Amino acid sequence: MAPRTAPAETMRYLHELSPQRRQAVADLALDTFLEMGRAAAIVGANGELRLVNDAFTELFGGVEDLTARLAKINADVAVSGGRLIHEVMLPDGRTVGLEVTLLEQGCLITGFDISRRQQRRAREAQLARTDDLTQLGNRLLFQEQLAERLAEPGHAYPPALLTIDLGRFKALNETLGRKTGDALLRLVAKRICSALADHDVVARLEGDKFAVLQLGQPQPQAAAALAARLIDLLGRAYLVDGQLINISACAGIVVVTPDMIDVEQVMSSADLALSRAKSDGQGSYRFFETAMDEKMRSCRKLEIDLRRALSLREFSLVYQPQVNLRSSAVSGFEALLRWQCPTRGAVSPLDFIPLAEQTGVITSIGEWVLRTACREAASWPNDHSIAVNVSGVQFAHPNLVKVVMSALAESGLAPQRLELEITESVMLDDRGQSLTVLNNLRSLGVRMALDDFGTGYSSLGYLRRFSFDKIKIDQSFVRGTANDPAGQAIVRAISSLGQSLGMKTVAEGVETREQFDRVVADGCTDVQGYLISRPLPSGQIASFLDERAPRP
Amino acid sequence: MSTLYRLVYLSKNRISGGAAHIAAEVQSILAAAQRNNPPLELTGALIFNAGMFAQVLEGPCGSLEDTFEKIQQDPRHGDLEVLAYHQTTERAFQHWSMGYFGQSREGQDLFGHLAKATGFNTDGLEGTRLFEIIRDIALEEETRAA
Repeated sequence: MAPRTAPAETMRYLHELSPQRRQAVADLALDTFLEMGRAAAIVGANGELRLVNDAFTELFGGVEDLTARLAKINADVAVSGGRLIHEVMLPDGRTVGLEVTLLEQGCLITGFDISRRQQRRAREAQLARTDDLTQLGNRLLFQEQLAERLAEPGHAYPPALLTIDLGRFKALNETLGRKTGDALLRLVAKRICSALADHDVVARLEGDKFAVLQLGQPQPQAAAALAARLIDLLGRAYLVDGQLINISACAGIVVVTPDMIDVEQVMSSADLALSRAKSDGQGSYRFFETAMDEKMRSCRKLEIDLRRALSLREFSLVYQPQVNLRSSAVSGFEALLRWQCPTRGAVSPLDFIPLAEQTGVITSIGEWVLRTACREAASWPNDHSIAVNVSGVQFAHPNLVKVVMSALAESGLAPQRLELEITESVMLDDRGQSLTVLNNLRSLGVRMALDDFGTGYSSLGYLRRFSFDKIKIDQSFVRGTANDPAGQAIVRAISSLGQSLGMKTVAEGVETREQFDRVVADGCTDVQGYLISRPLPSGQIASFLDERAPRP
Repeated sequence: MSTLYRLVYLSKNRISGGAAHIAAEVQSILAAAQRNNPPLELTGALIFNAGMFAQVLEGPCGSLEDTFEKIQQDPRHGDLEVLAYHQTTERAFQHWSMGYFGQSREGQDLFGHLAKATGFNTDGLEGTRLFEIIRDIALEEETRAA
């Protein structure tokens, strides 16, 4: 028996060895070839076997057209640059992994059975694409299937994507418990499946959100019919663990058009349509329209511009005078925000404040307004009050009192001159929090005004809980014509209420002499509006006051 | 023995078509119920009147909920209203895998006296009342047969 081990270097320098050593090494190599666990064969140019080991015979023993197959492999390796790795499916279903090396004549093939590995991989791949809870596909599966459809256009009917979610599911899950919630989701999954065609793709994307890819049907009719059917099915009563459950569903639909190539884009379009459907009310469905996308984009663009506006100093303040009706003297000014955007021009606060509130940008804008108004007002010749609007979002921010203190300290403005205007909505979500903030602000010496009174809930309870310095009567009541007795009655009632509670009442938006006379008659203490003056930049306040001052 | 539950529901789907069509529809529902219910330990009764089905099903929670889910996934049952679903101590339809009380009372207005109270609007119809009606009819039938 030849020695089983030979030093590695002797293998490399075979030609330098003595004939005896050479023989020993060759014997070792042959033994190894014959006995190794991996199937190995040296194959001639025509696919004929020149040398095989037992493992090879075992692996390929039953293959009838082996010679033809090997000849093909031989031809393949010759054109592929001398080395080839590939997988061969045998007639009995096994998969064999082969490594082929080109020799001077023919080739060397080694390989082994990889069927189990293949099966395991297939199982793992399926598991990775299955939602454990419902046994439907999951997001990964759905995205892959959608990507596949997007990549192969030219079908007679375009695919339609539906996303579906349940109303109030979260609350229900919390009340009835996770176990019942899970059981409900399984029933929902089954009901969805019961409405689908065989080749449609369905998945649970997350929580109570499902998606369906409807294929091979005339659109948009088929998707609309399916959405209606799903909403009906999912909205029917459920019996789960001895309980009766009622829940509803909404759906968003995108019919894929040839320009839609991105999975994320299609899915987010469906989400957009779904959120529209939800705002229409439970049990509705909506198709995605390009306009929705455009609206969302323009909203996002506005948000970006808005965030930028502050640092680019595109905001400015103007001040609208308020006049005391008894003395006819200017009693104060209200600071109003202006945004001059280089691309959009002047943007009305009505167009950007709601978005600023939604996105939270209002907090920093509001802080800027407060600091700027205090600073500018401190430079005016008189001790007029300066009113600044504080939004509900700002009001809820824990920093508000600190910011006000800092604005006062920085500007040197007397706290009594600053008047903060809040709307009724601030008082609405009251868990005692707003009252604490109001009292803290008041303790700084700042005055408080209730803005837009009469348009919201107008609960008189607010007026009782906190004694505001001023009530501002919304312009919608003030602008009513002489034949709007209801508006006039409201103005009169608020004025008289203010009088009894010791609060000033300001009529807003007075534009005509007629309106002016009426609010005087109705008992308002102050008035603000174009009739007195349009809002003025800070630089013009001094000359405005000068003009109004009684001439000697 | 597992806990017994009772379900009472009203299917307001109007089956369109003539008497023959309705009879065929009822027959197919009955045949399915009489075939499927015994192994599931479900008993109950069905009445068809004024274009509506009212049904009582009793049995173990699991069987009941599975059967109900099948009904809910059936496109023919669009407007189904569950009037009652609760635990109960004994079966009211012990002898009926699915009793049907329609033919013998053809032309009678079973919900008639309810119509006065509810203005022919079954929305206000209580599960217990409907259950009692169906049970009373079943008892009458049993007595008559005896």
